[in-house]
Amino acid sequence: MLQIKNLHAGINGVPIVKGVDLQINAGEVHAIMGPNGSGKSTLAKIIAGHPQYAVTQGEILYEVNFKKINVLELEPEERAREGIFMAFQYPVEVPGVSTSVFLRAAFNEICKHQGAEEMDPIEFDEYLRQKIKLLGMDEKFVNRAVNVDFSGGEKKRHEIVQMAVLNPRLAVLDETDSGLDIDSMKIVADGVNKLRRKDNAILVITHYQRLLNYIIPDFVHVLYEGTIVRSAGKELALQVEEQGYDWLAQ
Amino acid sequence: MISQSEKHETLLNRLQEFQRRTKGEFPSWVVDLQKQSFERAAKLGFPTLKDEEWKYTNIQPIVERVYHFPPETKLREVTQLKQYVHSDDINIVLVNGSLAQDLSNLKKLPLGLKILTLQEAFKNNGIELQNIFKKYDIHQEGVFVALTKALAHNGVYIEITDKAIIEKVIHVVHVTSTTDTDIITTPYTMIKIGKSAEATILESYLGFNPEVIYFTNALTDILIHENTTLKYCKAQSECLKSYHIGATRVWQERDSNFLGFSLMVGGEITRNNLDVVLNGKGASAILNGLYCVNGTQLVDNHTLVDHRQPNCTSNQLYKGILNGSSRGVFNGKIFVQPIAQKTNSYQLNKNLLLGKESQVNTKPQLEIEADDVKCTHGATIGQLNEDEIFYLQSRAIAHKDAIRMLSHGFVDDILSTIQNQTICQKLNLLLEPTFAAL
Repeated sequence: MLQIKNLHAGINGVPIVKGVDLQINAGEVHAIMGPNGSGKSTLAKIIAGHPQYAVTQGEILYEVNFKKINVLELEPEERAREGIFMAFQYPVEVPGVSTSVFLRAAFNEICKHQGAEEMDPIEFDEYLRQKIKLLGMDEKFVNRAVNVDFSGGEKKRHEIVQMAVLNPRLAVLDETDSGLDIDSMKIVADGVNKLRRKDNAILVITHYQRLLNYIIPDFVHVLYEGTIVRSAGKELALQVEEQGYDWLAQ
Repeated sequence: MISQSEKHETLLNRLQEFQRRTKGEFPSWVVDLQKQSFERAAKLGFPTLKDEEWKYTNIQPIVERVYHFPPETKLREVTQLKQYVHSDDINIVLVNGSLAQDLSNLKKLPLGLKILTLQEAFKNNGIELQNIFKKYDIHQEGVFVALTKALAHNGVYIEITDKAIIEKVIHVVHVTSTTDTDIITTPYTMIKIGKSAEATILESYLGFNPEVIYFTNALTDILIHENTTLKYCKAQSECLKSYHIGATRVWQERDSNFLGFSLMVGGEITRNNLDVVLNGKGASAILNGLYCVNGTQLVDNHTLVDHRQPNCTSNQLYKGILNGSSRGVFNGKIFVQPIAQKTNSYQLNKNLLLGKESQVNTKPQLEIEADDVKCTHGATIGQLNEDEIFYLQSRAIAHKDAIRMLSHGFVDDILSTIQNQTICQKLNLLLEPTFAAL
């Protein structure tokens, strides 16, 4: 589904990602772990298309419905319409725009692009309420401005609500566990697990292993100083938890 | 300051011509008022950028043109008007300054509401009108106020009697409809609301022909008596090549409430003055405003709140969206007189610059002579945050739509302060083209 080949990228001329190769197939859950500053979040943002980062080399190919797409050529919104989703590490507050208006616009854009039927406000509200319940959030969030006056945990849960609403083929979860207490993390993980299917894939980016106790990955990769230094099964996460990252650096 | 320019002379000639032409039409006190105002205007001449009050607003393009009065009063754009003016409201439609009976619905007015053309009121309601005029010292008035008064003939007088509660929106529509260029209209609205009454008034300034240059020099005087609440909104959506200079003067007595809103979207150059005198204990005023401009538009909002009595409150929130190479000016004066203890006054101006070339000059001006008061003010000028735009884009929303949505979000809170659905809908209608162009 997603193929990253020899990706080099940076910000303001400073290289951060230095030759990443990664293959993710439909139905798989991959985890990328790594210390602070290793380039994990940069990688997530590049997949989603953040304009601040410049790709200097390599490519990202995305295969969906038998068509191959060169992701780097697409605008962020075009990537989203093709089914790429990123849950933000720091979700942005959007004052004055209600969650239901915002998400309906997003949902309908994707439907329009994929040839599915769009929803009217009443239909969508009902749909959104279901997803909000799935993540154990209060229905009042539907009418509140996007992420405004949400607690840190609510913002993170709200990202997964959005994932549930938009039903992506590839979801990149950027440090979704940071700032969550254990109960919230379980709810979030439970929500993500419910969204796992054979035809979609999830890339979990995390600093700590604990989230991976709840979202069990098929593959774990360790990113260190901009390159993947080790890839293995889920046991690698435990090893990192016990021994840290230093042994992988050598 | 007396301007020596020839153009100034031309305008004065125009005024003299007006006075010759209308001789005998008005009661003598009106003729006196026009004459005094004329002399005041002639003495002042037009301001330049050297004038503190006009420091950021160059009106040379306005005053260097030679205007004439509209040759006719027929509305060419009836369909367009009807999208905006609905029969559920009490409509007073003035086309090029003259009342259009067929577009207005002034029959069967609710009890306690009187609506007259200014000329009728001059003849029949001289005492009430003079009471309003007396509130203001003619020697303190600015040139454009003096100009409208010197030319006082077109306009409307609205009177709401004591204890009357008018549920429907009273909608005064000033529309300029012309194919001729360089038309001037000087609409003058006078409003008197009695004690313990309630009313909602919307004044709209419209034009539909984007090709013509015209000048609206508007004045509205509002007198609010004790215990009365007035919701008042001025919506300016003139043609993009036109000029609008307007003043609204509000005089409030004890325990009255003024809930004011100004929307400025049209016009090449707009200057809007809103002056509120809190002349009775416990009076409160809300002055909220929104301006959204694009291209080479210039919009200048000046507010003045004069706290003359104790225990009054005033709250101001003005927001602006500036696109293209447009310019915005906000100047908010708050005077607190020595007697006006326990004054509570708040002022905030927030601007969103979307255009690379757009700019804003914002300036609070507080003169506080009482010691037991609470006054705060602030101003912000900002741009949309790249992370905000990216967040929306990552949710499949196109860059352009993201900007639109975030701009909507920026104005949402201020629009929600208008506590009237009908007015809110109309303002949204006027804002539509602005947002479509973002």
